[in-house]
Amino acid sequence: MEEDLDNIEAFEAKDTGRKLPVGWLILFWGLIIWGVYYLVSYTPSISGWSQSKAYEDSVRK
Amino acid sequence: MAGDLYRKPIMFAVVATVVILIGTVATMFYPMLTAEMHPKLENLKPFTALQLAGRDIYQREGCVNCHTQTVRPLKTEVLRYGEYSKAGEFAYDRPFLWGSKRTGPDLARVGGKYPDAWHYRHMENPQSMFAQSNMPAYAFLKEAKLDAAETEAHMKALSFPYQKEEIDALGAKTEMDAVVAYLQVIGTAVKKAVAPAEAQAGGIKGSHIPNPLAGKAEAIARGKELYSRDCASCHGADAKGSIGPSLVDDEFLYIKGDLPDDDYFEVVNNGTTEGFIEDGRAEKGGMPPFKDSLQKDDIWSIVSYLRSLKGR
Amino acid sequence: MSDYQYDNQTVKGFIVSSIFWGVVGILVGLLISVQMWKPEMNFPPLFTFGRLRTVHTNILAFGLGVGAIFGLSYYILMRLVKRPLLFPKLARVQLYLFNVGILLGGVTLLLGMTQSLEYAEFEWPIDIAIVILWVMFAVNVFGTIIKRREEQMYISLWYIIATVIAVAVLYIVNNLSIPASLTKSYHLFAGVNSANVEWWYGHNAVGFVFTTPILAMFYYFLPKSTGIPIFSHRLSIIAFWSLVFAYLWTGAHHLIYTPLPDWIQTLGIVFTLFLIAPSWGSVINGYYTVGSDWSKMQTNYLTKFFLMGITFYGLQTVQGPTQGLRVVSQLIHYTDWVPGHVHMGTMGWVTMTTAASIYYVIPKIYNTEIYSEKVANIHFWFVLIGQLLFSITMWITGIQQGALWKAVNPDGSLKYTFLETLTRNYPFWQMRTVAGLIFTVGMLFFIYNVYMTMRKGKALASTTA
Repeated sequence: MEEDLDNIEAFEAKDTGRKLPVGWLILFWGLIIWGVYYLVSYTPSISGWSQSKAYEDSVRK
Repeated sequence: MAGDLYRKPIMFAVVATVVILIGTVATMFYPMLTAEMHPKLENLKPFTALQLAGRDIYQREGCVNCHTQTVRPLKTEVLRYGEYSKAGEFAYDRPFLWGSKRTGPDLARVGGKYPDAWHYRHMENPQSMFAQSNMPAYAFLKEAKLDAAETEAHMKALSFPYQKEEIDALGAKTEMDAVVAYLQVIGTAVKKAVAPAEAQAGGIKGSHIPNPLAGKAEAIARGKELYSRDCASCHGADAKGSIGPSLVDDEFLYIKGDLPDDDYFEVVNNGTTEGFIEDGRAEKGGMPPFKDSLQKDDIWSIVSYLRSLKGR
Repeated sequence: MSDYQYDNQTVKGFIVSSIFWGVVGILVGLLISVQMWKPEMNFPPLFTFGRLRTVHTNILAFGLGVGAIFGLSYYILMRLVKRPLLFPKLARVQLYLFNVGILLGGVTLLLGMTQSLEYAEFEWPIDIAIVILWVMFAVNVFGTIIKRREEQMYISLWYIIATVIAVAVLYIVNNLSIPASLTKSYHLFAGVNSANVEWWYGHNAVGFVFTTPILAMFYYFLPKSTGIPIFSHRLSIIAFWSLVFAYLWTGAHHLIYTPLPDWIQTLGIVFTLFLIAPSWGSVINGYYTVGSDWSKMQTNYLTKFFLMGITFYGLQTVQGPTQGLRVVSQLIHYTDWVPGHVHMGTMGWVTMTTAASIYYVIPKIYNTEIYSEKVANIHFWFVLIGQLLFSITMWITGIQQGALWKAVNPDGSLKYTFLETLTRNYPFWQMRTVAGLIFTVGMLFFIYNVYMTMRKGKALASTTA
């Protein structure tokens, strides 16, 4: 009986194989930029923010 | 060049391993080497043999699937459960039992919140105290005796200190005793702030303030409703006492003779703490505070209802 | 050629076993969903929610999930490297050991032998068996790839290799424990550290059991069943590497607002959000692939399974990261929202994609056609509706729960007792049981279809022989 073995060429489109959709690239870089912002804002040793301080603030209000 | 990677499986596997290990080292292995991952509160003690046996049963029964053991530093969460959890409370927890789902309430501060009798009754038949609860009944724990040798082996594995008598005593205990002992120690390494002395009702020490809702029919009806919701499970549907003392006899805080309404208010508001003196009478502890779940008017309504039961 | 025939039997063995464990796991799931609103349905000591929930998750993750992964990975592997397995007998032993392991695992969990680490509950003797199983798998995967007859490795192979490596590291580290007896051990790590190790493992178990191997199936079976090549090879590359890099940083999003150091939580959140990009790389790749010929949605019945599967993967990978944000976590963590989320992933993405892959593989192994496309379509609609009803119900419950827990009176005291917030869930939990039933009926159609296809194939084989 014949086995259907695969030719890798059949899996990969030739004409669009190197395309990266623009919307996706914006998402990719956007998330990295946002990540840097968030990391800076919520790391205690950088911004001074901490969850216990945030709690104290919320109770004082 | 980069395309070659997909022709060289060993090279590919090596690169993939390195890529996987970067985040692993940064967020898991590296922190392990720092002191902040191994904190311990000063008055945190290793589990006793009975408590550990209880914790083993807590694990065995999968309590962690419905109950968390960590209070988040959020306003309403601290109100509901108590002081938020500190890293240093868990140094002897192998594994941690913080959980991920609250089908039932958080248990991080359950230690000392209720008297033992409360837990025995609740574990045996939760619906007898909270008719609409969905917690399974664990009556079978009452029948099962502890295996002292097994618990001793567990204590040794964890290098927890213990006395021989402690192990010997286990033979006479049931699994229920162990679970309750464990529940009563959870979260107790954080010292509880002692309830403020007086005047929670708004009065000044020595001068009593009257119940603004005394004798009002509406308040009595509301009080009755709240009583059956929050109080009946311990003091009985008829208030004649069960786990907690009777509320219709002529004793208050174990001494004959009544006290004014605002003393009632304070006991409901702050709960009782062993040794605390309430208007000259020593408390024994065991009553949880209701100030976070009841409004002032609610508490006054309950007092009015109790007065109506007593007829005075 | 007889080599292939032998290996196909092993592939089939894994598929049938995984379906069997799937049925067991789903039935346990139905029972515990009833226990949520009807406590009398607990039968202590063995059949209480606390024990059965663990049986449900482990039997489905390891029995259905890993079983299907073993079988389908071998199928994909052999065809992409153009040779039979290097150690076919080893794979057969692996199949037997797998079934014994899952059976023992399920029974020991029922007996209450658990490490209490989510998705790593099995006690240490079972852990050792699982590690041995995984080593067998790894030996065959790497051996067969090294002796391959096609130089280039296709995307699916990358995902399989990453799965093999990552699961090995994760499983071994998190299951390190101090054995106290044959049936009891204590985590080597304590307290906060125990939590951090567990969720590094826990989240990546999702990543490398419910994501990478399923993507391997997706990237392989989508082009195979539609005949359309994957849209962008380059996008596949970037999505692959950024996914396997970012995943390992994200475990701490399960521990937001716990005593875990703030900086680890923050790092976890950042990388969790970033994961949207690689995840959507695969989603977009899938959409553009089918997009080059939408008629396949009508002419090939499997296309909609894969497209709906990847759609749920896309929704899952936006919802999941969003849950990591502190402001969202505050509201929905510890509520039913989270099981709602998990079940969209498992019922929508994993089961949908795996079932479609099995629909593709079984007729190929038997050299025949699927028994009934119509039954497959009925199966599709039942599981889709069941899953949607399930997840949406749980999301509503979760938001309600979270809001009620936070509600305060004007004087600052809490508005609801815990019990009041609980009893309001009952109607939703009943609805969830109904949703689960609908899903189960769908799965029964699936099993019937697979079974009939195999019968048809056997009849065919005996007539030609």
